[in-house]
Amino acid sequence: MESNFYLIGVGGQGVIRLGQIIADYGLKKGKKVKFFKEVGMAQRGGPVHCEIRIGNIFGSRIPPLSSDIVVVMELSEGLKSLEFIKPGGTIILNRKKIYPIDMMAYPGKYPQEEEIIRLIKEVKAKIIWIEAGKIASEAGLPIAENIVLLGALSFISLFDKESMMNMLRKHIPRELDKNIAAFNGGYKIVKRNNNMKII
Amino acid sequence: MKKLLTGNEAIAEGVIESGAEVVTGYPGTPSTEVILTLLPQEKELGIHIEWSVNEKVAFEIAAAAAWAGKRALVTMKMSGVNVAADSLASIAYSGCTGGLVIFVADDPGANAGMPEQDSRHYAKSMVVPMLDLASQQECLDYVKVAFDISEKIGGPVFLRSTTEIAHVASDVVLGEKLNIKREAHFERDIVKYTKAGAAWCMAQHQDTLNRLTEASKIAENYISESGIKINEIHIEAGSKCGVIYAGAVQGNFQEVLKRYNLKLSWLKIGMVHPLPEERIKEFLKNIDRVLILEELDPLIEAEVMRIAYLLNREVEILGKFDKTLSLIGNYSFKKIKNALEVLLKTKLESGQDPKILERAKKLEVKRPTSFCIGCPHRGTYFALNKAIKNLKYKKDEIIITGDIGCTILGMSKPFESCWTEVAMGASIGLAQGFKWAGIKKPVIATIGDSTFFHAGIPPLINAVYQKVPLTIIILDNGWTAMTGFEENPGTVNLNGVTNTRRVDIVEICQGCGIEDIQIIDPYQSKKATESIMKAIEYTGVSVIVSRRECALQAKRKKVKLAKRKVNIDKCTGCRICLSSLACPAMVFHPKDANNKAYMEITSACFGCGLCEFTCPFGAIEVIKDGK
Repeated sequence: MESNFYLIGVGGQGVIRLGQIIADYGLKKGKKVKFFKEVGMAQRGGPVHCEIRIGNIFGSRIPPLSSDIVVVMELSEGLKSLEFIKPGGTIILNRKKIYPIDMMAYPGKYPQEEEIIRLIKEVKAKIIWIEAGKIASEAGLPIAENIVLLGALSFISLFDKESMMNMLRKHIPRELDKNIAAFNGGYKIVKRNNNMKII
Repeated sequence: MKKLLTGNEAIAEGVIESGAEVVTGYPGTPSTEVILTLLPQEKELGIHIEWSVNEKVAFEIAAAAAWAGKRALVTMKMSGVNVAADSLASIAYSGCTGGLVIFVADDPGANAGMPEQDSRHYAKSMVVPMLDLASQQECLDYVKVAFDISEKIGGPVFLRSTTEIAHVASDVVLGEKLNIKREAHFERDIVKYTKAGAAWCMAQHQDTLNRLTEASKIAENYISESGIKINEIHIEAGSKCGVIYAGAVQGNFQEVLKRYNLKLSWLKIGMVHPLPEERIKEFLKNIDRVLILEELDPLIEAEVMRIAYLLNREVEILGKFDKTLSLIGNYSFKKIKNALEVLLKTKLESGQDPKILERAKKLEVKRPTSFCIGCPHRGTYFALNKAIKNLKYKKDEIIITGDIGCTILGMSKPFESCWTEVAMGASIGLAQGFKWAGIKKPVIATIGDSTFFHAGIPPLINAVYQKVPLTIIILDNGWTAMTGFEENPGTVNLNGVTNTRRVDIVEICQGCGIEDIQIIDPYQSKKATESIMKAIEYTGVSVIVSRRECALQAKRKKVKLAKRKVNIDKCTGCRICLSSLACPAMVFHPKDANNKAYMEITSACFGCGLCEFTCPFGAIEVIKDGK
């Protein structure tokens, strides 16, 4: 048994923090864990991605077609995850576009949403749309988009909610109430709108 | 107890558990986190930990500590071994009495830039044993093994990691801390510790070779009390195919075996120099075809060929010589799967449609890097480009040699200032070469503070001594920032972590005989530009120290500057500010049904104020009293 999570976004969105919490959760459950992070130029608006593997695993990187869940924090970055999503796996799409600086400074083309969706459907992934920004704002902490997505991911993965709350307490002690509200916001919206269960 | 540790954090834990008393190093991706993890614990551990000025100095300090009987470890990236190599060769010949471990992290795949140098060659050329790390658990365990072997043979031992191990976190089982407290003691023994005369040197060479043989004997069948193995052999009955591997490839190799339920023999090599010749012979006797899995250069592969020749046994050897595998990059799941297909002569289906991935690739958004919000280097390159323009030079006729670190981002858009990036301190040496080659126009070198301390001072002295007309711009942000904010001799605030005395770059330059030194503030763009113009026009060696603390560090220290905002009435949406500075705090809003096009400066603004100098319409204003 193995679970693979591929998280992607751009610098400043909290992709790595999200990964850390999931990896630590796996450790607390007594499982084998690998947590890979690509942060290169994250401070400077570069792409950021991380991979968490839990269970009977060896390599630190998710093999192609093996990711149970992909969390895409910035829409266009999701294109990079298509190699890894498992057919029938779930891709959680945060409705957010962040334009790179040079695209704003000079004419550049951001991919059409429909094109991205078409490709995701071709790799046979289920799509869950989440407006993490909106839910995080409702929770009183607009920056906590990653925690909203953690809530969504936790529901889909059937993570034990109480242990996950302990992880939140450990990793994000500041503004805990708002973070918990953000987590619950993500959790509930998936629970209400979807019945898909992966693990 | 289990902990989630990256490879480098596990090395740090191993250092603590081994009872090392002196730990030194110079930052370099992917090796930096070992000392970053240890440094805050220095007082508690009661040992000496330091960021040294460069790898050579770091190595010498660790070596002498080991000569005095202590356990000492030095950390560096592969490029750092080049710097330390001179001393390394000599000290390897002398050996040591305590334990001396050289931790080096290679970067197959060049994630952090720099050549994909394979430091295993150093183990060979320096006659030093080398352990290659294959998992995060081994990072912890092998530090102990390395000290154990080092003390048994009486010489230094290399411990080699790679990015894939160093930067990945995994569940790691912690061990017991060894309680070693040794009195420092160094015996005068000039036959061992000096190089006076051929006879002594050759005797030392023989000793070194003997130590290597000894290391080989220890490693061949090594199993520690806690069950740590160095080399491991698995013979699969009924399979005539096998794999010999070492290092980080282990994870993906085992993953492929699991995924495709493959059964074959394998030999895992933990000590890559010297190689376990007897184990390799034993392994080759059992198989007809062997694939060698090692990232970068075919060192094991060449040795296996030699050993197979000695065995007089016909074994088909697959690897890099036959182009089954590449010399370049790290080995992904896919690359190893493809190589195993060749070995087993079977197709392993992936089920992936490459056309979908090609289409996705075409749509991907490129995210070029720029300086961070508030980065003082942005101001320096902005002023430098302006100075060149004001002096009526064209941009493509002034050579600017760049150097290692954040400062090299000046090669990227929108500045496109730097022309070269070679090695620590090389900007100043290269600049002199261009002048002697006969470049008539001014030549400028840019270099960061830590890089200057590391290797920039000797070429500066050379420029003064040889009277080479040059302008050197030292971008002094007070930190070794690119690798994660380590301190260097110029760092001002050490937050009480270390007991050090600051060394001033300006005083160094004065001491080196520089007569034209100007200190500029890169945020004060007008003045900075004028100073740089004067420096370029100066006929001798001129130095500009562009001084302003790294904005990320300043932010952490709660430094608050007046933020800027855009006056939308004045803004024409021309984007000159954005295209001249590429500041990540700027967002462009294109024209839509309700609004004209305009710029926004978000609350992420640090307040460097450079954008004010760029706007032709005076639309960028200071936010007063938070309004």
